[in-house]
Amino acid sequence: MSQGPAAVSLRHAADGDSPLALLRQGISDILSRRRLVRYLVQADMKKRGSDTFLGNLWWVLDPLLQMAVYVILVSVIRSRSAPDFPLFILAALLPWKWYQSVVNDATSAVVSKDKLIRQIAFPKLVLPVSAASAGVVGFLWGMVPLGLLMLFFLDRIQPIMLVWIPIIAAVQFVFTMGSAILVSAANVFFRDLGKAIGHGLRLWWFLSPGLYSLQDVRATALVQDYPIIGTLVGFNPFAVLFEAYRGVIYGGADGVSPPHPPDVVSLLFLLAGSVALLAIAVVLFKRVEPEFAKVL
Amino acid sequence: MISSDDYAIAAEDLGVRYNLRFTRKSTVRGSFASLLARRKPERFWALRHVSVQVQHGESLAVIGPNGAGKSTFLQVLAGIMRPTEGTVDIRGQVSGLLGLGVGFDADLSGAENILLGGAFLGLDGPRIRELLPEIINFADLGQFIDAPLKTYSSGMRARLGFSIATAVDPDILLLDEVLATGDASFRAKSKARVIGLVRSAKAVVLVTHDMEWVREYCNRAMLIDKGKVIKEGSPDEVTKLHLARMQEAAARRTEELTAKGLDPVMLPKKGDRRMKRQAGTSDPPSASP
Repeated sequence: MSQGPAAVSLRHAADGDSPLALLRQGISDILSRRRLVRYLVQADMKKRGSDTFLGNLWWVLDPLLQMAVYVILVSVIRSRSAPDFPLFILAALLPWKWYQSVVNDATSAVVSKDKLIRQIAFPKLVLPVSAASAGVVGFLWGMVPLGLLMLFFLDRIQPIMLVWIPIIAAVQFVFTMGSAILVSAANVFFRDLGKAIGHGLRLWWFLSPGLYSLQDVRATALVQDYPIIGTLVGFNPFAVLFEAYRGVIYGGADGVSPPHPPDVVSLLFLLAGSVALLAIAVVLFKRVEPEFAKVL
Repeated sequence: MISSDDYAIAAEDLGVRYNLRFTRKSTVRGSFASLLARRKPERFWALRHVSVQVQHGESLAVIGPNGAGKSTFLQVLAGIMRPTEGTVDIRGQVSGLLGLGVGFDADLSGAENILLGGAFLGLDGPRIRELLPEIINFADLGQFIDAPLKTYSSGMRARLGFSIATAVDPDILLLDEVLATGDASFRAKSKARVIGLVRSAKAVVLVTHDMEWVREYCNRAMLIDKGKVIKEGSPDEVTKLHLARMQEAAARRTEELTAKGLDPVMLPKKGDRRMKRQAGTSDPPSASP
């Protein structure tokens, strides 16, 4: 909003802004409301901690309990798993939980603020952006259970390799932000997205090498017969991310080789794709933003 | 076309069109269905051909029956909605209280909501902290200022909202149906503040059903119905016309119902889909003057 008594603003009827202009507007929306994003993230954190008995302890318990479920599921019921399986799973589960919670929060980020949107003018882009930023805090909390678990598998860990985690996380952050912005805007127009997305995410998790390694997939008979499937599986952003995280935390997929640096080329490809996704998401969001007040 | 340069608000041939295809809770299935049926998207104009100027120091009342487009008009002035056609020129900082129960986050305390609200309105940090004591003082919520907003009554929420919206010392203040909130003492206080804002050469645009307020405190009034300006002029004339039209509409409805052999007291159910469709089609976009 314009500031100061001499501020003049002119609002024209909907004229088609160029994608580049929309992108620029989106970036300045966020830069000018950094403090609002911070407040929204803080409010989110405060709420999550305050309405449960154990409060912030859930940040630690939640991934550990879910990991326990998968450990039982895979190692007891299917009776075959990689060595040191808890660490194998948690290395993929933590980044996945980050993505999943952000996308879930983003579906309702704009829609749940319908009253506010109809009452005051503000850049709506802050809503998905703050949802995505709050996810980072959750991921940071996830480092606590990871650290705890590492204590049990100290012989595996190579501390210098852990420096890669923030780098891989940065790539994931861009991808997550783009997804959050797209989903938050789409749900305004198609409310069934909120229902579909839960199932879509679950399917995606099981199709991604989280409970198994990419090597396991490539060893299956199906991929042996149809190598194209193996190639397609590699294009899954979470195949790249999980393999990268697991490589630096856990080590080689064979369960024996020590931690190794991630495949930088695929990470760079993923980063380029994520930046493109984010740019497209911002442009689309800005294009439909003026309709929000009418549709909500 | 713009005659004076000293205006605060100038709206030129303003039009806002709603696309009913994307109204509330549309689903993918619904969109596919309408796509297959090759129906033209149903549209209707909530506002059309509205041109008005508000000078500094003026207080314009917007009156009209329910669904006339009054709130849409304020939403356009506030920048919440972009007009489909025409232009709005706003000179100065706008602040508005559109709708009751403005709250930013129900789980946060009143004081935290003031900070969050300031951030939403685009004020910088030092400015909000500077205004904070005054807002708290004016809202006069006692110890409730530190309680979560969800524990507030609707009157208390309105008091907080009014205090935030007016504390920023806006050049242009937009108020939607908020004068009749709070208890008697707060009502008196808020009236005094609005009058103060008008006196200090600020422009005020308000939507209200309180004709007494319009006659007493506004220097101009605009009557709109079905998205079009019916009359604009002195509060006395416009409110008189509005009341006459309301009576006429009520009489016509009674007549229609008795003609159909229905009891006029039994009014038809409102708000179902059929009613909405009718509203869309009975208001053709080609209704230009």
